[in-house]
Amino acid sequence: MILLIILLIPILTGLSLLFFRKTAIVRPLALASSVVNLLITLGLILSPSASSYTQSWINFMGISFSLGFDGISLVMLLLTNLLFPFILLAGFNREQRNVHILNFLILSTQSALIGVFLAQNAFLFYIFWELALIPVYFILLIWGGDGRRTITFKFFIYTLTGSLFLLFGIIYLYQLTPGMHTTDFAAFNQLKIPAGTQNWLFWILFIAFAIKMPVFPFHTWQPPTYNMASTQGVMILAGVMTKMGIYGALRFLFPVVPLGIQYWQNTVIVLSLIGVVYASVIAFRKSNLKMLIAFSSMAHISLMVAAMFVLNTFALQGLLFQAISHGVTIVALFYLASLIKEKTGTIELSQMGGIKLQAPNMALLFLIVVLGSIALPLTAGFVGEFLMIAGIFEQSIWYAAVGGLTMILGAIYMLYAYQRAMLGDKKKVFEKITDIGTLDYLILIPLIVLILGLGIYPQPIFNIFKPVMEAVIAMAH
Amino acid sequence: MSALIFTIVLGIIVLYLGFAKNKAVLAPVAVAGLLIALFLSIQDWGLGSKYFHDMILFDNFSIAFNISMIIISILIFLFGVDYYKTMEFHVAEHYALMIFALSGAFLMTSFSNLIMLFLGIEILSIPLYVLAGGKKYSYRSNEASFKYFMLGSFATAIFLFGIALVYGASATFYLPEIKIFIAQYHGHLPPMVLVGVLFILIGVAFKVAAAPFHFWSPDVYEGAPTLVTVFMSTVVKTAGFAAFYRLLDMGLLPLPIPLEKALWVMTGLTLFIGNLGALKQTNFKRLLAYSSISHSGFIMLAMLSQHSSSASVILYYTFVYSLATVPMFIIFILMKRASGGHEELFIFRGLFKAKPWIAVFLTILMMSMAGIPPTSGFMAKYQVFVLSISQGILWTSIFAILMAIIGIYYYFFVVREVFTDHEQTNPIIVSKLNAALIVVCSVAVVLLGIFVFRLPI
Repeated sequence: MILLIILLIPILTGLSLLFFRKTAIVRPLALASSVVNLLITLGLILSPSASSYTQSWINFMGISFSLGFDGISLVMLLLTNLLFPFILLAGFNREQRNVHILNFLILSTQSALIGVFLAQNAFLFYIFWELALIPVYFILLIWGGDGRRTITFKFFIYTLTGSLFLLFGIIYLYQLTPGMHTTDFAAFNQLKIPAGTQNWLFWILFIAFAIKMPVFPFHTWQPPTYNMASTQGVMILAGVMTKMGIYGALRFLFPVVPLGIQYWQNTVIVLSLIGVVYASVIAFRKSNLKMLIAFSSMAHISLMVAAMFVLNTFALQGLLFQAISHGVTIVALFYLASLIKEKTGTIELSQMGGIKLQAPNMALLFLIVVLGSIALPLTAGFVGEFLMIAGIFEQSIWYAAVGGLTMILGAIYMLYAYQRAMLGDKKKVFEKITDIGTLDYLILIPLIVLILGLGIYPQPIFNIFKPVMEAVIAMAH
Repeated sequence: MSALIFTIVLGIIVLYLGFAKNKAVLAPVAVAGLLIALFLSIQDWGLGSKYFHDMILFDNFSIAFNISMIIISILIFLFGVDYYKTMEFHVAEHYALMIFALSGAFLMTSFSNLIMLFLGIEILSIPLYVLAGGKKYSYRSNEASFKYFMLGSFATAIFLFGIALVYGASATFYLPEIKIFIAQYHGHLPPMVLVGVLFILIGVAFKVAAAPFHFWSPDVYEGAPTLVTVFMSTVVKTAGFAAFYRLLDMGLLPLPIPLEKALWVMTGLTLFIGNLGALKQTNFKRLLAYSSISHSGFIMLAMLSQHSSSASVILYYTFVYSLATVPMFIIFILMKRASGGHEELFIFRGLFKAKPWIAVFLTILMMSMAGIPPTSGFMAKYQVFVLSISQGILWTSIFAILMAIIGIYYYFFVVREVFTDHEQTNPIIVSKLNAALIVVCSVAVVLLGIFVFRLPI
């Protein structure tokens, strides 16, 4: 029952916002609901009790509305509900059109994402998977920046293409289930699919997740979309929606097509490692700050994919931890990037410089977040990336060597970007830049506390998914 | 049967009401009559009554399809209240012809004899030839009518030729007997029967606008008065597929291999031409014509899957497709008026700014057409894929999925226009009835997607 409450709070609040319309009520109400949801989620994590909710839905097609969770879902749920208060807060004090509709869409996204992470039925999972896309599409289309018409279109078609293949996979698995066909994950996990089938089914299922994450070469929608999106849009996309792909892969691929994974393991790892290097190099060459962060996000995600496919406990633990730390870091990074754009009026690094002289506090916070992003020890990024690379090392030293480039190249391009933006001589056009305000502190300080706190004491996160870790590994073998 | 008789009488009543010179009474009378017909149809549920030496069989299949067509007709007639207000047509004739066409559609769902199928198709088609030319002084409308008539009669001739050939070989028009006759050859039909069956299939494929017999549909959809276009793309399509399915199920299955291959090629072509044709359209009516062809492809996929629940899936698909089509055309007419008579896609530009709630409903309808959850259009496509994949038809299903992606592309092309900023010069005037229709249909489209039904037919 508590799961249903968590699922419904955002969407119901969102619907009620449509009736209020007043900005002064809409924003605090949306924020309050997300904070309440976060508290309930924390309660759920602190007092772990097996909770589930099942309601029969379309019986003749084996579809039920069943919610439940395990360690992996819980991590993703925590990430979602942790980030959304900040995403909503990012809208405060800003000029926005149709605030009530925007907040409604954001909250619907949240509900859909929660649904994705809690669904115990593949069909339900798919419905939420698609539902998450639709509000985001409109957030990007209506509140996005230049070129939004074409870019959102590409994004939408691209992701839906992947989803439809996933749908094919779900139906294919459905008709394999014995007796009265069903789409429950539990039934899918029992299937013993012949190796030959698994090999092609792997790609049918994986392509949706690969596009969402994104894995090289399915990434072309991502950088322009991130660049064009509004602050809140990109925070949702980069912070949470990329994790849908990772979660989906863990939930679908590992139990259902283990042989397919073994067969394609090296292909996917190589693709991801190409993604790591490719994205890092491009990030270095980019002078658009948001593009740079987008490519850096792709590099980090690619490393996570590589870690996912080496199939050992180290890598998987690192992956799940990194899911949280990447989410927190990237949200902070994109918020800062938008802040810089707001204050300076440009996002091109070549036109920036010397912002530190004008806004020292912003520069300091930016530095901390950048350090978190390049996985300096004592930040959350370090814990995750260290574990992942340690795990990849067990598979092959060469993979680990290339994977380690994420950190090295990351340090190069992030610090270089920092240097170009913040340091150097003061530009004349930036005379009137003010330092960051109270609202920005409210968003950035908690995120930075998380980045540092989890870097120093990561145990609470590990405790969440500890029980499920062994089970996943056992299944994969 | 009583519903069929009543509908024909209703048509005559409405026709004579035209003398009263009062346009306002026509729609209420027609709608009230259809409601009675609906009631009479429901009464027949489960009886399975046969008439005229078993030439007509009102089983649950035909009653379910009849009910769905009556409901859609009621919606179309309610749309007509506003639509005909500003037009100088002979409105009574329009309503009457549509009711006559509907009674033909009833025959097409309930035949068990090829002659009855032929009669049904003709009773449906002849009013449509007239209706397509409803705008007497419009060049496009006349062209549509003429084209439809020429091609339609040609298709009818081929169809009739096919019936004659089959009769010549089997000495019967009665479908169950034809089935036994075909079955005794174990898939190796004599050429006469093979050609006969092929011709029959071509005749029906023409009615549902399956490629390569689709060429009439974009031109006719574009030229015909919009209300008639709606009628053609909903009721006529439903009737066509009901007849197609019944023909296969009652008489022709299992098809000999060459014919089955032909139908599969037809399905693939229909999906391909429908979706690719729609990509480049700038005229909204033509776009929907091509999209209607592509939907035919999906329904054919369900039909050829030969699963025990194919019939109910086709019913669900055609019903929710019609339910989304009617309000979509209503919105189109509103925008056409506001833009001063244009029919291109750009008339939707700025709709979100001018009338946000209509924009939201149009988006829901487009999502349903494109097959995006949680709408019923998605559930329809999902059920089709469940049928086809569980019958082991993998490659065609993947092909259909690729085509569905193209479908999303052009439907969201419209959605993108809706959410583009643009100042509407003229106000968009929505009558209360039209608003109610849009809301009711859109809500139904969503609710039917959440509460999926499957009738035992």
